[in-house]
Amino acid sequence: MAQKTLGAEIAVRSAPYFPRQKKRISSRSIGIIVFLSICALFFCIPLYVVVITSFKTMDQIREGAMFALPNVWTLEAWDHAWNSACSGINCNGLKVGFWNSVQILFPSLILSIGISMITGYALALWNVRWAGGFLFLLFICAFVPFQIIMFPLISMTAAIKVYGNIWGVAIIHAVLAMPVLTLIFRNYYKDIPQEIMNAAVMDSGSFWKIFTEIILPMSGNILIVVLIMQITSIWNDYLIGVTFGGMGSQPMTVNLANLITISTGTTRYNDNMAAALQTAIPPLVIYFFVGKLFVQGITAGAIKG
Amino acid sequence: MAFRWSRWSPQLALVPAVAVTAVAFVGAIIWTIYLSLTRSRRLPEYEIDWSEPLRQYTRLFADDAWAISLKNLIILGLGSALAIVFGFILAAMMDKEKRGESLFRTVFLYPLAVSLIVTGTAWRWLFNPEFGVEHALHSIGLTWINFSWLASGETAMYGVILASVWQSSGFYMALMLAGLKSINSEIWSAARLDGVSLFRLYTEIIIPMMKFTFVTCAILLSLGVIKAYDVIVAMTNGGPGQSTFVPAYFTIQALSAKGNLGFASAAAVMMLVITAVIFLPLVMLTAWQQRRTGRAAH
Repeated sequence: MAQKTLGAEIAVRSAPYFPRQKKRISSRSIGIIVFLSICALFFCIPLYVVVITSFKTMDQIREGAMFALPNVWTLEAWDHAWNSACSGINCNGLKVGFWNSVQILFPSLILSIGISMITGYALALWNVRWAGGFLFLLFICAFVPFQIIMFPLISMTAAIKVYGNIWGVAIIHAVLAMPVLTLIFRNYYKDIPQEIMNAAVMDSGSFWKIFTEIILPMSGNILIVVLIMQITSIWNDYLIGVTFGGMGSQPMTVNLANLITISTGTTRYNDNMAAALQTAIPPLVIYFFVGKLFVQGITAGAIKG
Repeated sequence: MAFRWSRWSPQLALVPAVAVTAVAFVGAIIWTIYLSLTRSRRLPEYEIDWSEPLRQYTRLFADDAWAISLKNLIILGLGSALAIVFGFILAAMMDKEKRGESLFRTVFLYPLAVSLIVTGTAWRWLFNPEFGVEHALHSIGLTWINFSWLASGETAMYGVILASVWQSSGFYMALMLAGLKSINSEIWSAARLDGVSLFRLYTEIIIPMMKFTFVTCAILLSLGVIKAYDVIVAMTNGGPGQSTFVPAYFTIQALSAKGNLGFASAAAVMMLVITAVIFLPLVMLTAWQQRRTGRAAH
């Protein structure tokens, strides 16, 4: 659908610029399309290989034809990866990590977006004298490497008894995302006209009332972009999960990493590939449905952060 | 009463964020810097031996694995820079040929949506010495090709680079495409009228016009390279030997596997210093850009 509207848009836009170009495709265009197609092939090869390997039997994998389609399409590896793959000493499959990731995701999202939204709103629209300095500090914090705050954060989460469980992971996600998200929200809110704010304050609107009645309903667009960006980054995170998740509360990426790096006996490559796909499917589904918003999110996060 | 609340509410609402910044960022950084001056091993010790406060740093720079990490950081940085070049080429082509733009964009960007652990898993499999791409190429007669890069310490880093380029090219393509689209379309027709060749148009006009985009990309890339950890874990786990150690991996290794807190803290401080060195130009650049757009608005 998005492709169709984009196509129409391009047709309208390009019409006045290239009046001479009618139906024939120039040789330069063909060259470009061929080159881009070859590049696209390079981008697709890993996905193709992972998908077909996950449907093969180990017997066929041992024959060595990596690019060949499965002789017999089987879901054996998918079942095995989901239900009985080993992560450390636990052999209950990736489903454990999947549910942990889901449980980590929701509190992380609520905490990180909640704090950042209100902070961004307060900094952008209310007179806070030290707002400039604080924003600069947040800007710096957004770039700090995780390693420099890693041990203190472990000590702090241990002190408040959340180290090694899902809440620890969720809180650290919220803490680490806070600077970037605050900057994004602040940049979005600062374009709200001052007249609206003045009118709202005159109308005896309090800080929270203005937030819930005026600002929140205006935040739909940015909220969706941030939501998508946060869902994918929390889901794809490995470092925070492996550092702060205890044995039973590690996210899916950690299970996957354990499966592929620590393997006793013969490596079951089809299981590994099925596990990788299972980990990748949630963000990929989001990407293929709302790709445009995803791209907006990562570029906003990268530039503002 | 209501008036006073509305006056204090914004300050109150900022308390959580200020507390998080003060404790989890500023406080934690100071804590780690302090630890790097102590002799802490598995557990933190808070006495500084003033006769030799920098002993952890001396040890760090005498450490072979740290030297490898720094070297790999530079190799990874230079290698990953190919992603910017590649991204620009893709963007320039997509900018000139609008057909299929949406499809190509989707394909080039999908690696960004998945975890680096998944990316690492996929590439680890492609580089598999037994059943991987090398085997497939050998079986069709191309026996002179060596593609099991991860198996040898000399080439393992190039394997990591290839995976990183694959993963991030789409991102730079998106940034470059946005930059290219903001260029005034009259330049193209003017150049065509003047008979300027396409190559000269790009090297002498377009690329200089996009220098801000290029510098932004370079800084983002450098900051990403310092953070590179997941992809190393998934592809090589630092090996073979210590040949694919990078500072991020080295630091966590020192902390979790070796249980050497003071030493790991010193490495973390060095990571912060490297980040600051890269970060400073970004701040200056942003300030410069803001001043320029500010001047343009007047």
